[in-house]
Amino acid sequence: MAVEFSSMFACPYLTRSTLYYLVVYGLIATLGLFAEGELDAASFTFNEKEVPKTKADLLEIQTALVEHLEPAREATVSIRLEEGFGSGVIVSPQGLILSAAHVTGGVNKKLTVILNDGTELKAVSMGLQSETDAAMLRITEQGNYPHVEMNRDDDYLQGHWVFALGHSGGFDMERGPVLRLGRIVMNSRTTLHTDCKVIGGDSGGPLFDMSGKLIGIHSRVSGTMEQNMHVPIREYLNHWKDLESGNFIGDGAFAKRPVKGSGFAGFACEDTDDGLLIGEVLENGPAAEAGILAGDIVLELDGQKISDKAQLQSILKEKASRDEVNIVILRDGEQKNLKLTLGGR
Amino acid sequence: MKSVLNKALYDKPVMQALLAKLALTRVFGLLSAGFVVFSPAASAQGGLPGASRINGQNVWLAFEPQREILQQSSAVIYTDERSRIKSLYGVIVSEDGHILTKASEIENASQLSLRIGNELYLDVERLGVDPGWDVALLKVAPKVPTIPVSLGHEEDIQLGYWVVSNGSTSRYQRRVKVGIISAATRGIFSDKSHVVLGIGFGVNEEEELSWKVETLTEGKGAQKAGVEVEDILLSVDGVTLNKREDLIDVLRDKKPGDMVAIRVKRGGKTLGFDVELSAREERMTRNEQMSGGELQLSERRSEFPRAVQHDTPVNNDDMGGPLLNLDGICIGMNIARASRVATYAIPAPELRDIISRMVE
Repeated sequence: MAVEFSSMFACPYLTRSTLYYLVVYGLIATLGLFAEGELDAASFTFNEKEVPKTKADLLEIQTALVEHLEPAREATVSIRLEEGFGSGVIVSPQGLILSAAHVTGGVNKKLTVILNDGTELKAVSMGLQSETDAAMLRITEQGNYPHVEMNRDDDYLQGHWVFALGHSGGFDMERGPVLRLGRIVMNSRTTLHTDCKVIGGDSGGPLFDMSGKLIGIHSRVSGTMEQNMHVPIREYLNHWKDLESGNFIGDGAFAKRPVKGSGFAGFACEDTDDGLLIGEVLENGPAAEAGILAGDIVLELDGQKISDKAQLQSILKEKASRDEVNIVILRDGEQKNLKLTLGGR
Repeated sequence: MKSVLNKALYDKPVMQALLAKLALTRVFGLLSAGFVVFSPAASAQGGLPGASRINGQNVWLAFEPQREILQQSSAVIYTDERSRIKSLYGVIVSEDGHILTKASEIENASQLSLRIGNELYLDVERLGVDPGWDVALLKVAPKVPTIPVSLGHEEDIQLGYWVVSNGSTSRYQRRVKVGIISAATRGIFSDKSHVVLGIGFGVNEEEELSWKVETLTEGKGAQKAGVEVEDILLSVDGVTLNKREDLIDVLRDKKPGDMVAIRVKRGGKTLGFDVELSAREERMTRNEQMSGGELQLSERRSEFPRAVQHDTPVNNDDMGGPLLNLDGICIGMNIARASRVATYAIPAPELRDIISRMVE
């Protein structure tokens, strides 16, 4: 019988507060590509055995780990959010990244990705599955990024040895991503449990089989060392098109669906013969932060021409708080392009 | 655990100590245990048996050769009068009964005894402390030569290699806990001091820390000494403050109750005050909660010039013992349980220096 761990939220004995999402808040407040058919998770003899019995068995595990570690480390990234840190893993040379929904927090959000050498790259969140915690994002700067291969064979089973990487507690260049070794202790359709211990900051980081193929993404833990939960890679592959297209899937606990019309711009405006004129601008509000001044004329919002207040409102009512919109204004005869991040009402 | 408890039922002090320890098992642990008990779905699934998990007893059997080294070359250190409750481990570093352990864990112990193999030693000399590494040197008088660990070298410390530590122990039998080297060997320094002046500082226009006093904690050192809001802090113990780290450095080795001399600018004048330091009162961070709270972590878990990081899930009372590789070579000495995911060990090359400095 498959156990859906997300159903734990509904379980009266284990409320949501006993689970920790693995983002660190504030200052702690969350290449070798393998030739086809070369190795798969099931082909290791240590995965066939109940337990390693000899030093030779242990060395076999160690050798597989050390051999596949470096490319996995290079593709593991730290993700900086407004309020903390998570992790992620690059899965394409163009910079497609898999992470957790509670890390990206929504669709089309701006994020910063940090490579192990400290390079900071701009990224934007794509689709997510709010019931299982799967999410995708991409680096928006061009490059040829180190990446890992995904396990598409779905051959990772209970008892298999696995390794985890992630920027535990946030990015630390001198330390690098932190490695952990363990076994799959439970395997349900949408959740893998391992005894690789993970913690805040690891959220969204990768779990690998011993051939270095990606099999999961870290999601959450409970208070015991034995309960470390990961989203299996099949969940990403099953929803790949939706994730790539930036769709918000499900109404689960891992991400809040943006509420249309909840965006707040923070300025008053009126229709005039010259166009839509900005009146009062709320001090320290979203518009003020964007650099909008009283007396500006609004020409465009979100790529659409604006001639009156009704048009502006029809666009804003489709937006949610934290959405970023481009706004073009006219000031002293000059056009200015500004970016307005909407606040919450 | 069960057998320990059964045995302990006949021994009141041991039982009390055990109960105290069990009380530390957090609400989270109990709730999750409850989940397993109450959820038929979870028990039907079962999952991988505990004995086969990475720190399950059947996996430990593969580490018998390393366990035997811990049996002969690690010491179990007791601070209770009856030598019954393990407080810490130690590393045997000479044939004459020299043992290294974690200093801060025993500094307040009124008495020490220890066991090597089956042999209990009630006379334990404290020969010295290296506060920088938090290492204490102990000595017992062995009837037969003690067997020191074989110290490894830098090249023995490799990311992803198996490591073996002291786990639990019975009176006569040491047990292992296993993990791997999990991150770069490096200096471990905290970005906070353990003591505070009781001053809240603001930030300047560039959002950098400014030394202007913004708030004063009621009843704490600075306020009691007469410091006022708007004063500008110039120096502490003669050290001029520029960046934030300057203050952390000055306070690093201080203890609550220590006095420091500070100078502040008020209006056009420079004034001096003697300020008593107090302990930093902090809410536990979320990651500390996930790690079982402060109670399962080592109190001193930073300010080590260099440390090996591994993922072995040991407890704070498992510190002080050797960290072995699969060849049974001692590649370090466990010095701090730092979080749910990290344990630190003093690397073998540094340990060799410490031994030659302290023992010879």
